[in-house]
Amino acid sequence: MTVPGNIYWIASYPKSGNTWMRAFISQFIQDEPASFDINSINSGAIASSREWVQSALDFDIHELNCDEVDFLRPEAYTWLSQQLQNPGYHKVHDAYDILPDGRPLFPAEATRGVLYIVRNPLDVAVSFANHSQKPLDSIINAMANNDFAFAGNSQGLPAQLRQRLGSWSFHVLSWRDKHRLPVKLVRYEDMLADPLATFSSVASFLQLTEDEYAVRVAVNACSFENLQTQEKQTVFREKPQVAPAFFRKGQAGDWKNALNPEQAARIIQDHGVVMRSLGYCPENESRLDAIVDRSLTALDCNMP
Amino acid sequence: MRYRAFGLSIHSDMPLRALIPVVSTRSDITIARGNVPDRLAAPAMVKPYSQSAPGELLFTVPAIARFYVTGGTMIRYQPKANSDPQTIALYLLGTGLGAIMHQRGRLVIHGNALRFSNQAVIFAGSSGQGKSTLAAAFYQKGYELLADDLASVDDRAKVHPSYPQLKLWHDSATRLHIDVERMERVRQPILKYACPLDGGFCDKPLPLKSIYILQAHNENRFEIKPVKGITKMTALIAQTYRFGHLKGLSLQHQHLKSCAQLVKQVEVVELFRPMAGFHIDALRELIEARENQSPRVGQGSAT
Repeated sequence: MTVPGNIYWIASYPKSGNTWMRAFISQFIQDEPASFDINSINSGAIASSREWVQSALDFDIHELNCDEVDFLRPEAYTWLSQQLQNPGYHKVHDAYDILPDGRPLFPAEATRGVLYIVRNPLDVAVSFANHSQKPLDSIINAMANNDFAFAGNSQGLPAQLRQRLGSWSFHVLSWRDKHRLPVKLVRYEDMLADPLATFSSVASFLQLTEDEYAVRVAVNACSFENLQTQEKQTVFREKPQVAPAFFRKGQAGDWKNALNPEQAARIIQDHGVVMRSLGYCPENESRLDAIVDRSLTALDCNMP
Repeated sequence: MRYRAFGLSIHSDMPLRALIPVVSTRSDITIARGNVPDRLAAPAMVKPYSQSAPGELLFTVPAIARFYVTGGTMIRYQPKANSDPQTIALYLLGTGLGAIMHQRGRLVIHGNALRFSNQAVIFAGSSGQGKSTLAAAFYQKGYELLADDLASVDDRAKVHPSYPQLKLWHDSATRLHIDVERMERVRQPILKYACPLDGGFCDKPLPLKSIYILQAHNENRFEIKPVKGITKMTALIAQTYRFGHLKGLSLQHQHLKSCAQLVKQVEVVELFRPMAGFHIDALRELIEARENQSPRVGQGSAT
């Protein structure tokens, strides 16, 4: 029997509620949760933190290429996990990747569990475009691109390690289905619609608390409105400089106001299978009925 | 072959072309190919690819070589099959000599050292914060560099020159209009180039005046924050090169004492720049204005 690791990976595609989740988690692991502050959301380093990975290695990694660094990451995470006295909570945007030699990037020895946060890709596209101030169409392309990665520039030294995300569908499937780690999947839409029930089950899975009152207090402290209000009063450190705000709308279904029918149809075409498996069924949207029907029909025809 | 760097004489059987060759019979440090033990007899710290104990550091860079650094005087290396000598040399000059400096009681700061008048200033900060790019921008303006990436400070607060080379990523070189066409890559798998410092190298130790910690923030402004009080100590500790070595080498206590000593003598400044865009000239001018409040002596002239 393998000894379970100490790390809970808080995994998600970008703009799917990871920071909101970490705000919630940090309520339970900070000394003074009462004084909640968006700039002290500190649930632990992101998995792609160059410094965190470097701290497990006694030799310089900044003159290795991305593949060479990836080779070192599984062992580094295992060691970092072994140093923890209590469970650690670490954000991840990488997909659950398997290295060329067959080792998973996030090994079982380092892992206590995986919390995977998923959001309707129609809304992700809108939020991602705002976040990065890029045109929607280029974001929709990126979400369909199996080679999509963050910090993959090989001409310089990005502050973070390269993160291979793959397409949105690949990302979801990799964390949901491609391993035997304990995994809990949470939908962003459920975090909004029924915060208490959703965050209670998260708190239990992550071994944060079983106390419903404590969950209620934490949910209130880091409600989306509270995060937004705080961001209006202070500069949020995790916001990209180009984005007007990090906590923008935090709604489900805002894509209807932002995507044109072709853009929506494109996303459904690219990700319809995985969307359906998550209950993101866009069939009932009247304005888009015709286009959606058409793309779903096309999709069904293309299914093996 | 004998070289000098960090105020020490180095005898190496591996050519280290970045270093200044010397004719000497003395050697403070020996670098030699040989058998490297699989493990230490009594490791104080075990990490995935390394083990350490007082006076000993053993590390393996996969597919490159295994290295054994002992007593502040010796680096033994055992290449892996078909490994690339250039990469081995890079690790000897980086992690290897860095560990030697730790073992010799030097305070090693992860940063670039530059000459201002007759004093040294260090640009520190995490990897990717632009230390070398900023140093290159100063070099272009005729300033002299003492060290790239690894600044070695002795117990009298003097920075020792390392070697006349600056390593620059392709992006940084392009932004500074430096032509990398005829430069050699520091190792083939990466687009980072060895830029020789023609005449822009200060080859004598200089007293350390200030340490700038480079950081980026998401605001569209620069901010200079001199660090005071107890946070000055923690800020300095955080800039230590391969801080993780110290515990296994049992040097934590000595390191704290060195930092406590140094904070009394030097200024520590946090320097924030906007995350978006490239602001190297503004950054350089900001530091220049601050450092040159008193008139410079002999700046830019050959030593």
